[in-house]
Amino acid sequence: MILAAAAALAYAGVGAYAVTREPAFAPLVAPVAGVGAVLLLFVLVRGFDELLGWALVLGGAAYAGGTIAHGTHVDEAAPLVGVALLVCGELSAWSLDERRPVAKARAVVLLRLGAVAALAAASLAVSALVVSLSIASVGGGLVWTVLGAAAAVAVVALVVRTA
Amino acid sequence: MTRFDAPRLPTYAGLAAVGLLAGLFLGRVELVALAAPFALAAAAGAALARDPQVGGAVELARERALEGEEVVATVALTSAAGADRVDVFLPLPDELAAERNPRAVRLVGAERAELEVVLRCERWGAFALGPALVRASDRLGFHRWEAPLGPRQPLRVYPTVETLRTLVAPLETQVFVGNQTSRARAEGIEFADLREWQPGDRLRSVNWRASARRNALWVNQQHPERNADVVLFLDTFTDVRSGARGTFDATVRAATSLAHRYLQRKDRVGVVAFGGYVSWLLPSSGVRQLYRIVDSLLQTDVVLSFAAKGIDLLPRRTLPPKALVLAVSPLLDARTAAALLDLRARGFDLVVIEVSPVPFVVPAGDTVSDLAYRLWRLTRESLRLRYEQAGVPVVEWQADESLEAVLEEVSSFRRRAALARA
Repeated sequence: MILAAAAALAYAGVGAYAVTREPAFAPLVAPVAGVGAVLLLFVLVRGFDELLGWALVLGGAAYAGGTIAHGTHVDEAAPLVGVALLVCGELSAWSLDERRPVAKARAVVLLRLGAVAALAAASLAVSALVVSLSIASVGGGLVWTVLGAAAAVAVVALVVRTA
Repeated sequence: MTRFDAPRLPTYAGLAAVGLLAGLFLGRVELVALAAPFALAAAAGAALARDPQVGGAVELARERALEGEEVVATVALTSAAGADRVDVFLPLPDELAAERNPRAVRLVGAERAELEVVLRCERWGAFALGPALVRASDRLGFHRWEAPLGPRQPLRVYPTVETLRTLVAPLETQVFVGNQTSRARAEGIEFADLREWQPGDRLRSVNWRASARRNALWVNQQHPERNADVVLFLDTFTDVRSGARGTFDATVRAATSLAHRYLQRKDRVGVVAFGGYVSWLLPSSGVRQLYRIVDSLLQTDVVLSFAAKGIDLLPRRTLPPKALVLAVSPLLDARTAAALLDLRARGFDLVVIEVSPVPFVVPAGDTVSDLAYRLWRLTRESLRLRYEQAGVPVVEWQADESLEAVLEEVSSFRRRAALARA
């Protein structure tokens, strides 16, 4: 219950931020975030874990829409949004795992809590580094474009491997 | 072990890919920042995908237990390189209960962990426990490895036995020494009668007081102590139940108590399970026979059958001459009713303990149901009367009552019948 509430809270934070980012576009962003929230509720209440991905996609899409509509100014809060969505996904999955009544050793719970916290912290650091690099004038050009493309290809390869 | 990946892992990788590509094409770093946590999670998932190779075994502290007792099952777990989380579940039948099952533990390095699952034996039965189901997962729950653990372990839970002080005495005894006072007259302890001395009588048999009074030699006669053959005839055609209790459950409990007590008295006891499957156990005596009987009772089950069955199916040795046949039946199946009357017609000393199905049958409440219920009760009364007319004592036993009271009722019926004959 606590995990589900925390996941919902994280998602609500992302949704609220996305909607309030550009009030003029709120009527377009809010329904997307709202549908995502409903899907997340289905995940948390009814246990439909296959909808979790769509809820995260819609949350991310709502934020992306609000951000693009806001203008070209870089949003420094983007790492927090990304981590909030990831934490929402992890806590939702953990909440679903806890639906089975299992007598757990304390070490097992602490280990997962630590792992989620470490993943969130590392994600925040990486994401913040990405935003910092974009803000700082470290130059541009072909090298960075190639690096970006390589990263994208690597992730696509990871997708193919995990699918 | 069979590996399963969490469905969110490809979702994370997909989100990361979409975010990175969208960021690249739209030139928005926020989308890349949004995708970075998911990319990192997907990478962490790929790094965590190593088989923990969990193995082990399930052992029971003992193979036999009584109803109400506790048996400890130990699940030993080993892992080659440790496992962040191992869920262990020991599937149990409804008759066994355990707390903290399933359970999750962590295996650090190559250490061996032993989990004790205390099984509460709530009802009798023969069970095969295991294999335990093991599910290992990484610390973030991205991958799971599942496997069954260990072979099946047999566990026999015996029904509790009601202490019976009195038993139904057979009309005739056998030739072997036992604890049952025979009606015949021979060497024994129990005084039977006096008779005049005859050549061959031993001097110590002479009753000197009676001889002095009668002015001739008179000797004592005794009843010898003999054993008896008892056949427990169980009706396994039908079971009327409500929850865990039912007529079949009561039948097995009664049969166990009776077998236990008769065998204690050095009698020979056999069992006939007369139902969808007919099975039997030839009469014998001793503790080993008690275990044989109880084990066979644990295997007995109610099987639906429409086949016509009679006692001709049984081998002749199953029903020895002069045996006391104790039938335990709810008297619901016409085949059992006919077989019992057939036994009586063949001259067996028959007693019917009717395990009453009445407490388990509740009429629906409408007029037709009430009428049907009353008719059914009357039919049962009529069947009981038929048995009594054939000289067979029928006693109604409700499972929550003491069996001893019912047996006393049989003895009383027999005493009344003997007086009536006299």
